[in-house]
Amino acid sequence: MSAPVVSPWKQFQTKKEAYLAYANPWEKKIGSFLSFRPETPAPATPGPLAGLPFGVKDNIAVEGFPLTCGSKMLANVISPYDATVVARLKAAGAVVIGKTNLDEFGMGSSTDNSALGVTHNPWDITRVPGGSSGGSAAAVAAGLVPFALGTDTGGSVRQPASFCGVYGFKPTYGVLSRYGLTAYASSLECPGILSADLALVQSVFEAARGRDLNDQTSLDYEPQAPRPVKTIAVLGDLSDLHPDVRAVYDQTLGHLKALGYTLLTVNLPSLEFAVPAYYTIATAEASANLARFNGIRYGHRPVYSENHEDLVRKSRTEGFGNEVKTRIMLGTYVLRSGFQDQYYTKAQKVRTLIRRDLQKVFDQADLLLSPTFPTPAFVHGDQTMTEFQQKLADKSTVTANLAGVPALSFPAGLSSGLPIGMQLTAPAFGEPRLFEVAAQFATRVPVVPCPGTSLDWSK
Amino acid sequence: MDIGELETTAALAQIDLGNGDLERLGEAVSQMLAHFEKMNTVDTEGLEPTTHALVRDNRVRADDVTPSPLADAMIDQAPEREDRFFVIPNVL
Repeated sequence: MSAPVVSPWKQFQTKKEAYLAYANPWEKKIGSFLSFRPETPAPATPGPLAGLPFGVKDNIAVEGFPLTCGSKMLANVISPYDATVVARLKAAGAVVIGKTNLDEFGMGSSTDNSALGVTHNPWDITRVPGGSSGGSAAAVAAGLVPFALGTDTGGSVRQPASFCGVYGFKPTYGVLSRYGLTAYASSLECPGILSADLALVQSVFEAARGRDLNDQTSLDYEPQAPRPVKTIAVLGDLSDLHPDVRAVYDQTLGHLKALGYTLLTVNLPSLEFAVPAYYTIATAEASANLARFNGIRYGHRPVYSENHEDLVRKSRTEGFGNEVKTRIMLGTYVLRSGFQDQYYTKAQKVRTLIRRDLQKVFDQADLLLSPTFPTPAFVHGDQTMTEFQQKLADKSTVTANLAGVPALSFPAGLSSGLPIGMQLTAPAFGEPRLFEVAAQFATRVPVVPCPGTSLDWSK
Repeated sequence: MDIGELETTAALAQIDLGNGDLERLGEAVSQMLAHFEKMNTVDTEGLEPTTHALVRDNRVRADDVTPSPLADAMIDQAPEREDRFFVIPNVL
């Protein structure tokens, strides 16, 4: 077990009144939580995270808390058990103080697809916090919790981290158990960690990781033998970047060079097929995973239904929002007999191609750098960022999910007053490389706290 | 996607599409499907499909009875139940 975390948040349990005087106005302004219970007592565990409060995205089970997934379908469901990652963090002494808002079932990039609440970006409340783990990112950025759990299926931890100016970490697939995570796209998704404190990300990762009997796909953490990172690959063809993102990206390259890293320009020809392959696989898996929501055993049920079939159809029609219906429809279509080879099998072959291309990059370089998302946080309802445009913009993040490799979005600076994140991707079990370079980068460009945030309540 | 295909798919997905939905969801679905077509421009001849990125082995446990303390709490979440049974509309 590692050394206890040093943090002003250790004072949380004894300074709750001062904390609430700070947190309540913030939360009123940004709406990051769907349930907020800071009074929850900490477990009496003398672990490395003893006394630290945290937030959990509301598609991860926490005993006694709602598990809404941001959906009308599950608005009244209370979880009777803890997800494995939550149980492990509790065993390390941490305490869940709330469930954070998200795009319904994790489907979206803005958190505006939540059926149960609106979350604003703490840097500018006219803007979205990103998504789908937008509530977790906003809560961390506003200083309401030192860290939060999210889930990352195609960038849902990293993109909101970029929008809110915090770290967003997606581990190697399988290293954080999916038991207790409401399934959306099982072969792609995993829990992730958001925090403004890189050392804390690592401590939380250490406490939560490892094989779990309840998740067949979970893996023990087998880190690669540490070796100093020397070469970082960058993409030769980076088009369609917002000027603010371009500016921070160019500055980041300068900082990395100044830190002594060699930058190697590479091409990932399969990258342009990553988004269609990702959405084919994700929606196919979603259509199967979300078939369980039928109004019979739990969740939304219509007031009246004629028969069994009517009950199921009405439950789903009334319970799901538009984006969820769109993805279920797409997934159902690509899995229909006659279309499977054309879409689903093809996408899985493209996935193989992407893994190979990425492996070729890692044969020459230790890490791959790219912008996390091509734009800064956009305003709510931005007509240039339609659902379709948001999906196209997932290009940089979905690759890590398709390949099952770890990636970290780190705050790389501000442009026009908004934080911009850059993403490092490593080969499987290459997490130490991500943390090493991000820590080095922070020595030159320290994380800028969101204006109006403070830890003074802990004094 | 034409209306007929859309309706068949919605029926398979057990979702009712109202008039507005048919147009709105139909457009969103068609737009994505057209985007998926892009995959047909890349050669994947001879490649094995990847179903899972990092699955190491098939894991089994001893075939013993293990406690399942969650059952009652799960059943308590039912929208309608009688004792330990879920209630649905009459079948006959």
